[in-house]
Amino acid sequence: MYEIVNDYTTMDKLRILADAAKYDVACTSSGVDRKGKEGFLGNSCAAGICHSFAADGRCISLLKILMSNHCIHDCKYCLNRRSNDVERATFLPDEICKLVIEFYKRNYIEGLFLSSGVLNSPEHTMELICRTLSMLRNKYRFNGYIHVKAIPGAPAELLAQAGLLADRISLNLELPNSESLKKLAPGKNFNNIVKPMASISSTIAAHRVAAGKTPYMERSKINNRLESNIFSKMRIEAAQNNSILVPERALDRDLSRPFAPAGMSTQMIIGATPDTDLELITVTEQLYKSMDLKRVFYSAYVPLNDDAALPAKGTAVPLLREHRLYQADWLLRYYGFAASELLSPERPNFNEVIDPKCDWAVRHLDVFPVEVNTAPADILIRVPGIGPKSLERIFRARRYGGLTFDALKKMGVVLKRAKYFITCGGKMMDRIPIEERFIVNRLTDVDRREVYSFTDRTTYRQMSLFDMGMKAVSG
Amino acid sequence: MTVFTCSDSLEAMLTCIYDAWYSRLGHDNVRLEIEPIEQLNMFDTYVHVEADERKAMAVADAVNMKISPAFYGEIVYCLGAYERDVLDTVYRVLVLGFKHGAGVLDAYGYEAVSRFKAIRIRYGREASSFLEFVRFNLVEGVYVAHFEPKSRVLLTVAEHFADRMPSEHWMIIDDIHREAAVHPCNEQYYIRKLSAEEYDRLKATEDYDDSFTELWKVYFKEIAIKERENYRCQLTHFSKWKRKHVTEFA
Ligand code: SF4
Repeated sequence: MYEIVNDYTTMDKLRILADAAKYDVACTSSGVDRKGKEGFLGNSCAAGICHSFAADGRCISLLKILMSNHCIHDCKYCLNRRSNDVERATFLPDEICKLVIEFYKRNYIEGLFLSSGVLNSPEHTMELICRTLSMLRNKYRFNGYIHVKAIPGAPAELLAQAGLLADRISLNLELPNSESLKKLAPGKNFNNIVKPMASISSTIAAHRVAAGKTPYMERSKINNRLESNIFSKMRIEAAQNNSILVPERALDRDLSRPFAPAGMSTQMIIGATPDTDLELITVTEQLYKSMDLKRVFYSAYVPLNDDAALPAKGTAVPLLREHRLYQADWLLRYYGFAASELLSPERPNFNEVIDPKCDWAVRHLDVFPVEVNTAPADILIRVPGIGPKSLERIFRARRYGGLTFDALKKMGVVLKRAKYFITCGGKMMDRIPIEERFIVNRLTDVDRREVYSFTDRTTYRQMSLFDMGMKAVSG
Repeated sequence: MTVFTCSDSLEAMLTCIYDAWYSRLGHDNVRLEIEPIEQLNMFDTYVHVEADERKAMAVADAVNMKISPAFYGEIVYCLGAYERDVLDTVYRVLVLGFKHGAGVLDAYGYEAVSRFKAIRIRYGREASSFLEFVRFNLVEGVYVAHFEPKSRVLLTVAEHFADRMPSEHWMIIDDIHREAAVHPCNEQYYIRKLSAEEYDRLKATEDYDDSFTELWKVYFKEIAIKERENYRCQLTHFSKWKRKHVTEFA
């Protein structure tokens, strides 16, 4: 393939290759604790650290760029697809290293997220990526966070190297099934994504066992309190029939590193295909259970290309839907819910006006109200307005005698939601009819602001007008 | 009511706790406040307390041994908070701690505990937000950061960067409390109160624009998705008072 040599400056390339990378939503730097050491630059903190917030309100934690936005593929939803006429550039490994090091020292970023279009071939692209990471770790002695994208179709050797150099490795599924993928990404195939995912998953597990840990990724502590949660009966199916990635050509220095200690993640595009929420959330659960993915991200589709197979340009970005999916994802990871409890073939999509947790609760009024002073964790965590943190506080405080509504409020329980579902010392907070329609109406009211902020174009526009002043001031 | 008052140094605050406790006036008859006192009440008696190392150590030892080191850690951490009632709240929590043990910090039923927790959470957030938002400028080989926290968080912030950038010369300046954490390459950092003249000289360091400032601004602008523009959300996450000294908003 052609590689146009042009005289772009680092500044030009940064502009082009950050712009091209921004539709990948993952930007977290979480999942690994690593101390700093003399002679090196950087450390890492398991909770992750954000450094700024962009004009779209999304967190900026990592320098998120593409190695190159040249691409041999022609995925319909992608700005960098072969058939688009856009400015194309490719970074030199050294340019990326300098940007990372200098940005990091000024505390702009927590590390690097390096992805790429497919330049010439998957192998060539992955080779460039690995060369950059190796340089960053070994020549520039960078000890901060690195998230690397595995290019589908890249040889196992290079994936193995990448895993040893990075903290997190991701492979984007993009769409939840092979039909949708075939339709929108003719150059890709499902197997080319799922197979390397499986080998990465078993390699992570093997490295964890070798380091004296359990094979499974750490999950929120709250899951220990819950009898049933999607992680409790985990088995990495992949581990049984997949070979582990072994780098033949890695440097000794790199071999001493853990393999992707912050785990693996993926991303799916929302709203470019008719796939339902049920399908998305079921695939999400499967990925957590069988591949032990650390995170699944959703990216509301922004129509960038004119294509008959896709929503037209100007179609509203499905932000509320994306938000609901993230809420559901949290319910899987922190609240002990299973996908099948949230949606069904009869009701395959999330409710627009009410969040998935409230939705579940009002459909199960027969189990409520529950007594805060005695109820088990599994049901208490399902009360709208009670989250993992407040649950933990409730359990600790119970030892010191009866809880009151006042104390619950101070522990961070959101009573305007919770009050319909709990009793404290046998009493409800107000006289409340336990009747579905009444409660739904009240909760919808509580949720309305949130829904508006995603959908109501008038309020939205007023808000941005108001914010314009701010923008002018802050430049 | 007798009001014991002191400056905001840790030693003075612990001494103040000591004096109030051993005044034997009864816990309900004393209040502790940090100077300057904003409004004097004519019915109260005010007693100014000077820092005293022996008394401060006595309080530290008692809390460490009779309650727990972790409890002591929590209290000292929280005393950095700017809330006017933090010292008195800590006093009340200590009374409860000596009576019921370290676990009392989970008992939200007590007014003092829930107040303490609220301050602790807010203070913790303030401290960690500056781990995110502090920005360094390269000035003649030294990475220099200015920031303006409401609370005294410099120590927490400096600890973080000492681990992160051990082999760099750097300096973090708290412009409000006029203190600086100074870290020479590969050495232990130290905290230094700034004289007026030092303070003025250090102020000028922000006028340096190094070549990476511009690159960062370009990146910051490019990475936002126009179709998702949401300044309100940006503002909730990154409030205005914290944007001071932040490169991308300068
Ligand atoms: S492989 Fe597809 S999604 Fe990735 S850069 Fe190329 S065209 Fe875009």
